[in-house]
Formats: sequence, structure tokens, C-alpha cells
Amino acid sequence: MTTIEPTVSARRITWQRRRRALGLGWADYRHSVPGMIGLVVLLLIVAMALAAPILADESQLRAVDSIANPRWATPSEFHPLGTDNLGRSVWAQFVWGARISLLVGLAATLIAIVLGSAVGILAGYSGRALGAVLMRVTEWFLVIPFLPLAIVLAAVLGPSVRNVILVIGITSWPSTARLVRAQVLTLKERLYVERSRALGASSRYLMSRHILPNVSPLILASLTLTVPVAILSETTLSFLGLGDPTRASWGKMLDEAFSSGALSRGAWWYYLPPGLGIMAVVLSFVLIGQALEEILDPRLRERRA
Amino acid sequence: MTFRLVGLKVLGALATLAFVVVFNFFLFRVVDTDPVASLFRGRNLTAQQKVELRSQFGLDGTKLEQFGRYLQQTANLNFGRSYTSNEPVMKEIASRAWPTIALVGVSTLLSTIFGVLIGIAAAWKRGSATDYTSTGLTMATYAMPDFWLGMLLLTALAVSLGLFPVGGISDPSSDATGLAKLLDQAHHMFLPALTLTVAYLGEYALVMRSSLLETMREDYLTLARAKGLRDVVVRNHHAVPNAILPVVTLIAINFGFVLSGAIAVETIFSWPGLGLLTYDALRGPDLPLLQGLFLVFSASVIFFNLLADLLYVYLDPRVRTG
Amino acid sequence: MSAEPHAVTPLLSVRDLHVTYRSEGGGVPAVRGVSFDLAPGETLGLAGESGCGKSTMAGALLRVLPQGTTVTGEVLLDGEDVLTMKPGRLRAVRWAEASIVFQGALHTLNPVHRIGRQMAEPIEVHSPDVSAKERRRRVEELLEVVGLPARRIDDYPHQLSGGQRQRVLIALALACNPRLLIADEPTTALDVMVQAQVLQLLEDLQKELGLAVIFITHDLSTLSSACRRLAVMYAGRIVEDGPSKEVFREAAHPYTEALSAAFPVIGDMRFRLNPSGLGGDPPDPRSIPAGCSFHPRCPVAEPRCATTIVELWPTGRPTHTAACVRVRGAMQ
Repeated sequence: MTTIEPTVSARRITWQRRRRALGLGWADYRHSVPGMIGLVVLLLIVAMALAAPILADESQLRAVDSIANPRWATPSEFHPLGTDNLGRSVWAQFVWGARISLLVGLAATLIAIVLGSAVGILAGYSGRALGAVLMRVTEWFLVIPFLPLAIVLAAVLGPSVRNVILVIGITSWPSTARLVRAQVLTLKERLYVERSRALGASSRYLMSRHILPNVSPLILASLTLTVPVAILSETTLSFLGLGDPTRASWGKMLDEAFSSGALSRGAWWYYLPPGLGIMAVVLSFVLIGQALEEILDPRLRERRA
Repeated sequence: MTFRLVGLKVLGALATLAFVVVFNFFLFRVVDTDPVASLFRGRNLTAQQKVELRSQFGLDGTKLEQFGRYLQQTANLNFGRSYTSNEPVMKEIASRAWPTIALVGVSTLLSTIFGVLIGIAAAWKRGSATDYTSTGLTMATYAMPDFWLGMLLLTALAVSLGLFPVGGISDPSSDATGLAKLLDQAHHMFLPALTLTVAYLGEYALVMRSSLLETMREDYLTLARAKGLRDVVVRNHHAVPNAILPVVTLIAINFGFVLSGAIAVETIFSWPGLGLLTYDALRGPDLPLLQGLFLVFSASVIFFNLLADLLYVYLDPRVRTG
Repeated sequence: MSAEPHAVTPLLSVRDLHVTYRSEGGGVPAVRGVSFDLAPGETLGLAGESGCGKSTMAGALLRVLPQGTTVTGEVLLDGEDVLTMKPGRLRAVRWAEASIVFQGALHTLNPVHRIGRQMAEPIEVHSPDVSAKERRRRVEELLEVVGLPARRIDDYPHQLSGGQRQRVLIALALACNPRLLIADEPTTALDVMVQAQVLQLLEDLQKELGLAVIFITHDLSTLSSACRRLAVMYAGRIVEDGPSKEVFREAAHPYTEALSAAFPVIGDMRFRLNPSGLGGDPPDPRSIPAGCSFHPRCPVAEPRCATTIVELWPTGRPTHTAACVRVRGAMQ
């Protein structure tokens, strides 16, 4: 009896398969017009945020450096989006403010997703007692309305970007946890988990090799839907004055526009761009999320075939 | 069997409320070990003043004693006195509750109704112009910050066109009473209510649409059609009662967001409700007031969730009897 | 009771029925030219593998297929063409002239309505003058007819077992006294014991009420006793049509033979030694083989099978036709 030597290791094959799946996924994604639009818009905005130092000098953000500028100037070639009540360049605020909105949105989402997934996987996978307790705690956190909590925390801790990220992260993880747990519960019933257990696999092995890869698509889709919420939350918090007062952000622009009377003055260049910017970012994430969902949902895939 | 189910849900809600009460306590103590110091940041206090302040805020004694006192006071709805007005917190909250209840109540009702109707129309005529325009519009409103929409409406309809008042709940110069006063208040409520309604109906429309699209694939609709029922009847009596169930859950989830949204929107329109009260309390920060508001907001969300939960039980017989 | 072929005006007359589903790559032909007649009170079994178009054809008869599906041909129900009926007339005809017994899966019935209400619904639509009390009485009657206790009337579908749901669907189909019953795989999801009971119920009802029944299934063995006539479908066409016992025992078409071999009847000596099973799969509706669509899988295929356009030819036995070149050869 001859033994057959494997020419390629199992691990290699797994990675090859994963890369191929990714490639196919990308090919699919490219077909989705809304998905591509969302991706392009998002990349443009990210590029703009990253290129902030090139696009607008940071000094234009400071009132003290803007004394020479006219107040409430309409958009012109000197100031592409005009100036505000203190003569600061609105364009500079817009471009630099994008950084905060994106940063907070992504960072807070990351916290929420990591925390939520961890709790969700644990809750779904553990036995009844621990799982039930975790779900109870999750539900409690779900109930706490995010803004009052944020306000309280900011009042006590002081306004800062870090606190904003924390607050949004803390209030967003429960929904991810719930989703992930539901998915884990269905996965647990699947045969291959049973089989692996019969083979003597440990819980940790199961969680990392079987459950996590199968929950990942769901987590990814959930991520694209959580980011818009995080960004909108950051905007509201900054508007209420809970964000870092020293950093420009789109929410803060709206706050200043409102309190300085831009509305009654008709200074649309101050309050229109931030809102539109937020809309663009949120919409692009929603479109990306929908495109991803379509690709990852096996039922929808069947219909296209 | 239903009574047990309802009883369990009520108990669950009470447990959550208890959690929030405890959480509220620790929020101020554990998060910041010396609230007095952080409160009076930047102000120089003598040691004597600090001791006095601590006693005033009930911060003396061991944590356990503080907690005991806190529980007792909470049970009596005693949240201390507001820093700014020195009135009892509960009195402040009670006097400002109605404008917010009216605003949030009307907005939630309208956004649910219109959102559901739009979602039904979009799903039933899938792929048509109705579908695309409504989906597009709802996505746009979902993507914008609610208060920003308020700002736009304010500028367009109040400042530029002068159709609506710029803020407040009533015309300060008039002394109308009765129906005239009510109409005046409604006139003032129109823009903030419109803002909250439009800001949140998008999600209902989207969820209703996708839920109905899923329901439309079910076999019982084919059976209903085969029975000779008219299309409208199939949709309204068979498809919608099934498709609307996720929307009910959504109302519950959304309520916390609507309340949060009310804070910013009330600020924009100077609507004298709890939202504006919170915004003002932030300026201090008026901690007792904020603590009381936090509890009231959370309790409202819990209560509303319970209502939505019970409504779901009523609507879905599988939960009731299964 | 022997049915004289076409001596009576047929209750149902299907002529050259084509059904094409809408799909992204173009149309998918599910039914490709089906024609048959059904006399009042006649029982017709329609057998075939999944995907052969039998359920599609059932849906086409009452025009309950998904939107966008193209249906051509004629479906004459009591002389009137269902396919060209105005919506109002179509709705009146549905359920009152012909009804469908669907497969009793959990979601065939509306989960949030009590079954009593779902059964009373067609009565309300087709006989609006009937009072609510009278409707309820009628529903209780129907439940008893199918062997369910009347008190089940206020239950929800999820509270019933599979067999009970199937009975409800049968009762529902009878609610407006139709003349034609189309039973689409009514026993497929049921256990064998329950299957036998439901089949017996259908047989008894048919005899009692003189219904015409089209009994659709993939399990040939259930049809041999329940139906007088048997038609076999393959790739959207009828490939054999004749008296059921004859078709089952002395199949003229090789596909029928293979199909009946796949569902052995206990006690029937023929099945004791023959290994059954037919290799391959039914053709993809988008790429159906030329000539006889069965020839790639046919154990007795000849070269001319790929080029001859087959039709239902007489086999020499009365009312028995088959779409196979060997049949035509034998006649000549």
C-alpha cells in the first residue's frame, strides 16, 4: 500500500480558498452600482480628510489668526466656503472637521463591534446560565438612551474626543451583541460543530476556527450599518457642545452656526456643507452595507444565479 | 398563559428599571470619584467649602451610606435641587414634561404611520418609480442629522418665508386662551414635529419595505389570491399584518433615539420641553437636574419598550400561544 | 364507473399551454405545450420529478403564478378561457369553480389568522349574503368532513400538526363547492401513515362529491389507486397519458417505467429483484435536449430520438398515448 504525500498543506489550501472567495466577492461587489458609488464617495471623503493639511492651512481654523478676514464672507476664491462670524475659513473647518467625524465614527464603531462581537459570541456559545445573564445585561444597556448617558458622562468627565468615542462605543455594542448571538446560536446547531466536538475539539478551537469565520460576514455587514449611527451620534454630541471644543468637527460647525445666528443671517455656506458632508458619508456606508448584504446573503445569491 | 407572559415582561421591565437606578448612582460616583472637584473645576475652593459642598450633595459618609440615601430619595422621587434654579428637580422636570410628551408623541405617531404607508407602497410596487423615489427619499432623510433638517426647515419656512414662528411654544405677546391658545401652540409645534417626523420615518419605511418584500414571497399569499381575493385585500389583510411585526420592534428600539433627537431639535426651535432643559442643564453642569433627567429618560424608554413588547405579543399569535 | 372518453363536454380543457418564468438570463420555459381534457368527476393523476413543470401547470390553471410569468395557450374551464378572463370574472371563478389544495407546509396558511377565519374567508367573498353565524356553521361542517374536531376552528396554524394542516387545506378547498380540485403534492411532507389517511380522505371526498380532481405528485405509487387516469410529465411536457393501472403496470414510455420503478409497491412482485433508479438529472429548462428531451437518460434510446420531434402518439390501447418513437414504430 502506497501512501500519498500531500503536495500542498491543508493550511495553504484554506488560504487559497479564502483568497479566491475574496476575489469572487470583489468581482460581485463591482457589479453593484450603488455599492461602487458608496465606495468611491467614501474614499473621496477619506482622501479629503487625510489631505487636510494640503487643502487648508490649519491656522485658518483659529480665530486669532483670522482677524484680518472679513466676517460672514460669502464663498469666493479666497475662501471657497466663505467665513464665519469670527472670520475663520469655513472650508478649513469643513476639511479638518471631516477628520474628527470619520475618526470618531470608525473608532467608536470598532469598540462597539469588538465588544459586541465578543459578548455575542460568548453569550451564544456558553451554556444557559452565562448566556442568559449576558443577554440580560445586554438588554439593560440597550435600554439606556444614548444621548442622556452621553450628556451625563460628558458633564462629569469633561468634553473630549476620547470621551465621545467611549460613550458612543458603550451605547452601540448591545445591538451588535444581539445580532451576533443570534447567528452563533444557529451555527451551534450546525452539524460540523457537533462533528468537531465529537473529534475532541476544544471550545476555543471551535470558536476561532468555526464560529468566528462564519460570523465575520455578519459582523462586517453590521459594521457598515453601525458607522453611520456613530457618525450621526458624534454630530449630535458635538452640536450640544460635548465634543472637544478645541477641535473642529462637522457637529461643532453646526453648533457654532446655530449659536452665532447663521440661520437668521442666511449664511448657508456655514451650515449647509457640514450637513451635506455627513449625509454623503452616511449614505456611502449605507450603500456599501447594502451591497455587502446582497453578496453575503445566500438566498439573494441564489436568485441571481 | 398570556397573563404569565405579560407578567414576566412587566417584571423584566421593572428589573431593567432597577438596573438603571443603580447605574445612575454609580455613574456619578464611580466614574468620577470626586464630583465636587470636577464640578467646580477651575474654581478655587477652600477645604472648608469642599467639605460643606460634599455634605450638601450627599457625598459624605461611606459609599454604602450614600447609596442607601440615594435609594431612599429616589423612591420618594427626590432628586435634590437644581443648581441653577434651586427648585426641586422633580418640579422642574414635571413642569417641562408636557411639551416634550406632545412633541415626541405626535412625531412618533406620524412617523410610524407615514413610514409604514410609504414602505408598503414601495414594496408592493417594487421596482417602480414609486419604489425608487420613496427609497431614495427615505435614505436621504435617514442620513441627515435630525437637528440639521430642523435648521433647514427653520431657515426655509420660518426665516425666509415667515410661515411659521422661529421658536418657542407660543406667541409671548398674545394672551389668547382656550382654543386660540391651543392653535397657537400647534402652530409653534408644527416645525419641530415635522422635523422629528421626517427624520425618523425613513427607517420605518425601509424596514416595512424589506419586511413586506420578504412576506410577499410566502405561500399563504398565493393561497389568498387563489381564493379569489382582491389584490388590495391580499395586501392589507394577509401580507401587512405579518410584515408589520418587525416594525413594532423597531418602534421600541427607535424610541430612545427619538428622545435623544428631541434634545437637539428642541434646542433648535427653543421648544420649552425636557430636551431644552437638558441642553440648558449642560451649561452648568447642573448635576442633580441631569441625574434626574437621565433617570426620567431611561424610565420612559423602558416603559415604551414594554408597551411595544406587549403590542407585539398581541399581534403575533405564535408568541402568545406557541 | 367507466369514463367514456370525451363523450361529455370536458370540464377542463387545456390546449397547448406554455408557461415561461421571467429570469435574469431570459425566460425559463417551465411548461412547453401541454394539452389534455378532463371530464366532470374524472380523476387525473399528474406525476413527474421536481422541476418537470407540474406545479407550475397547476398554478397556471388559476393564474396564480408570480407576476411577469408568461402564460400562453388556452385553459377552458366550462368553456370559458381562464387565461383571457377579466380580473373580476377570474376572481369569481377562483375557488368557486376550481380550487387548489396546496402542500401543507407551515406557511401555506397565514400564521396570524385563526384557521376558522381563513376557511370562512372564501365563503364570505363568493357568497356575501351568508351570515357570519351561517359561515361559522359551514366551517365547522367542513372540519368534520375532513375528520377534524369542530373546536379546532379557533386554533392558529402553528398549533396544528402537519397532517391536521393538510386536512384544513382540503377542507378549505371544498369551502365553495368547486367542481374541480387541484391537489398539488398534498401528501408530500407527511409521514407514510398520515399520507395514507389523507389519500383515503381525498378518495372518499371525490367519490362522495363527484369532484374532478387533478392529483399532482412525484410519487407514482400514491396515484395508482386514487386516480383513474394518469399522466406523466417530463421537462415541461406530458410524455404519457392513459388509464392509471395500465400506465403503472405496462408503461409505454421508458421514463414512466423508470419512475414507477423508483417507487416500489410493497407486495408487488415486480419490484423484488429489479434495482431501481435512473441515472442523471432532469434537463435544465434553459437547455433542453433536441428531439425527445428524455433521450440522454433513456436506457433504450435510439439515434433517431435526438432528431425526431415527439408527440403523444396512440399506443394501440384505448385512451393510452405516449410520446416515444418506439410507440409509433410499434403501430407501424
